[in-house]
Amino acid sequence: MNIRRRIATVVGAFAIFTIAVLVFAPTVGSTSISLRTAFDRSIAWDNNVDAQIFFVARLPRVLSGALVGAALAAAGVVLQALLRNPLATPFTLGVSAGGALGAMIAISLGLDLGLLGVSSVPIASFTGSLIAIAIVYALASSQKRGLSTNVLLLAGVTLNSFFSALILFVQYMSDFTQSFRAVRWMMGDLDVGNYVPIVAALPFLVCAFAVFAALPRTLNLLTMGEDVAAARGVEVTRAQRWAFLSASLATGAAVSLGGPIGFIGIIVPHIVRLMVGSDHRIVLPAAVLFGAAFTVLCDLAARTVMAPVELPVGVITALIGGPFFLWLLVKRS
Amino acid sequence: MKKQLLRYPLLAGLIVVLAAAVHAQQAQRIVSLVPALTEMLYAIGAGSQVVAVSSYDDYPPQVKSLPRVGALLDPDTERILSLTPDLVITYGSQVDLQAQMRRASIATFDYRHGGLDHILTTIRALGQRTGRNAEAQNVISGLQIRINAVKDRVMGKARPRTLLVFSREPRALRNMYVSGGRGFLRDMLVVAGGVDVFEEVGRESVQATTELILARAPEVILELRPEIIPAGAELDEEMKVWARLATVPAVKNKRIYFITGQQMTVPGPRVADGIERMAKVLHP
Amino acid sequence: MVDGVTLRLTDGTLAGILGPNGSGKTTLLRLLSGTRRPSSGTVRLGARRLDQLSRRDVAQQIAVVPQDTELAFEYSAIEIVLMGRHPHLGLFTVEGPDDIRIAQEALAATGTAHLADRPFHQLSGGEKQRVVIAAALAQSAQLLLLDEPTASLDLGYQLEVSSLLKRLNRDHGVTMAISTHDLNLAASICRELILMRDGRVVATGPTNEVLTPANVRLLYDVEADVHVHGETGHMTVVPLRRIVS
Repeated sequence: MNIRRRIATVVGAFAIFTIAVLVFAPTVGSTSISLRTAFDRSIAWDNNVDAQIFFVARLPRVLSGALVGAALAAAGVVLQALLRNPLATPFTLGVSAGGALGAMIAISLGLDLGLLGVSSVPIASFTGSLIAIAIVYALASSQKRGLSTNVLLLAGVTLNSFFSALILFVQYMSDFTQSFRAVRWMMGDLDVGNYVPIVAALPFLVCAFAVFAALPRTLNLLTMGEDVAAARGVEVTRAQRWAFLSASLATGAAVSLGGPIGFIGIIVPHIVRLMVGSDHRIVLPAAVLFGAAFTVLCDLAARTVMAPVELPVGVITALIGGPFFLWLLVKRS
Repeated sequence: MKKQLLRYPLLAGLIVVLAAAVHAQQAQRIVSLVPALTEMLYAIGAGSQVVAVSSYDDYPPQVKSLPRVGALLDPDTERILSLTPDLVITYGSQVDLQAQMRRASIATFDYRHGGLDHILTTIRALGQRTGRNAEAQNVISGLQIRINAVKDRVMGKARPRTLLVFSREPRALRNMYVSGGRGFLRDMLVVAGGVDVFEEVGRESVQATTELILARAPEVILELRPEIIPAGAELDEEMKVWARLATVPAVKNKRIYFITGQQMTVPGPRVADGIERMAKVLHP
Repeated sequence: MVDGVTLRLTDGTLAGILGPNGSGKTTLLRLLSGTRRPSSGTVRLGARRLDQLSRRDVAQQIAVVPQDTELAFEYSAIEIVLMGRHPHLGLFTVEGPDDIRIAQEALAATGTAHLADRPFHQLSGGEKQRVVIAAALAQSAQLLLLDEPTASLDLGYQLEVSSLLKRLNRDHGVTMAISTHDLNLAASICRELILMRDGRVVATGPTNEVLTPANVRLLYDVEADVHVHGETGHMTVVPLRRIVS
């Protein structure tokens, strides 16, 4: 058995699939465009509708979808390993609730504080996520013995409830339109129409992914239990900290870019594990790639199925997620 | 001569009786949960008959001193009952509230959104309920005169395809809701000489994505802002945001406008103001 | 809670840490493996202090076999054994042919080579435990610490595992310390014993010297007979009655 070759082959296969999806997706949409026209440099930019649709409407959308999907899928894998629970999602520990509260406040107050070309809602959402991360981390680290995953889980779930209550309160105090727009944000929206939000989220995603790259074998060991992992040479507390912080950062950035799109962080890790086993050295990169492709495909469905009306991408992932969970449940019993 | 003189007291008596009968039907203590209808009541001179309004009412200024009884989602039934109204104006969807009023034998006037015509028929109906038929007719005629004036002015002129934006995120073209070919705002647009760029979708509002806007290529973009129009640096920012969609004719020809004011979002007697302002922008 | 313990494990020994539940066996094991730090005193491996070594360095020298292994995700037997190579691999290093060979040898040593590609959760109790022992072996450590290695196993598997441990110690020279409350297991395979009660070590020494009725009484409040089989020197403990004090 050659492990290195196996990793390369499997990840390579996923990479080919994902690249194919990413190349295909911007060519399809609710409007039919001609690729040749879109790439025709001789037509002036402000006369080339096809080019605008391709480069301003679709390409940023596909890129956001890929980044959000990759981030949420990877965060799902890492958190499931950290909490030793296949039902954990990137939203279990309260990060997305913090992001949602931030966004909700920005929408209700009609905040308008752009920063470096990024508008208020993503900034407020990211800030909310950071606050949630800080609170959960502080609570879980308050125990003398390093980072307790039990406390992490409890703190995260509690924070979820608390922030959800605050979200309800903010919604109640808003008027009808604001309420509606807030609810719509919660369903996910990848139509960035602009490369700036992507570039703004990139540094955080890159940092998180850099940590992800170093985690896989450690994750394998962590899933065997803290004591066993320590006995096999893992600095458990340090590993748990890195896992939690990187997964939460990726989630916060993803949520600020596209809203809290549900089910990606749990469906993709499961599907990938079904296909390739549980070795995180394969699961993690495969989930990153498959998460990107999956999300882009869901968004493709969302923007073409009922054209010209668009479905929120979160609705599509939920429609797939519900039956998926039923099937999982049946399979397990 | 004597017979004729006798006729007058009889006539007077009849009139008094009729007036009393009609007065019995006229609502004297009105609670209004719908701001548009509150405006209508004041416009037809029935303002003195209004005893309470919704949390969102703020026009005309007189309503500011009136008690508030909640709104669409949270009507305060107890408060309403304590004011002993004889007519409560509710939204059509507030079925629980209507049932409670029925049990308390209080009449309700149930309002649902509609187009421009519906505004006029509602004014007429309110006129009947408050015994102000003549004033209602005056208001309606006044509005129709102004509406027809606009129609005449724009007749024969080319109708620009217009993106009528209801709301979006500040400084971003996200979470944007626009007119989808139905409703009183779309009707206002049509009267003002424009055509809704999403006319054939036939919905009150549509989420406009980047691709849809580029594909539909509106010639005019009209953004409705309830309170303040961006100005100065803020305006530049908002224009820059639209400038990304360089192929859109409205962007190329710099026909992007912001219209402020509640006349634009309240389907009431100020609708003619809104129409006139739209027309001025679409057909200067 | 463990207090006032001074002990020494000699190279190549198969030591048993014996005592009732709550006597501090697991804590002692944790101290020995470095996962718990003593509040006073030091734990040394050879000449070096454990608390001055990184977890990685410790893991290269000491391997632990836990009592139960509950996996949240599915791994095959060989994957689990390969994880034992972790302390010898760099952050981005993938297991090479040497590592794979060591893992396969470890599986062979525990008689589980034929189970290499089977999912762990499909194995029997005894097979599972042997795979986990193989994983510890793959660490190529000097010392193997086992926490109640046969506690949750049926009799047949108990025999399997205990004879495996004996064989590993005798034929492959693996130094081991086993914590157990099973007197007969300790009697059958351990060469020396460390007796614990209420967090203190009450006796240490070669098994045949230390495993006496007096000590059994001391540890368990039980009157027992201790037999030594003439030929094999095999010891058994037969409990007779409880002493009610």
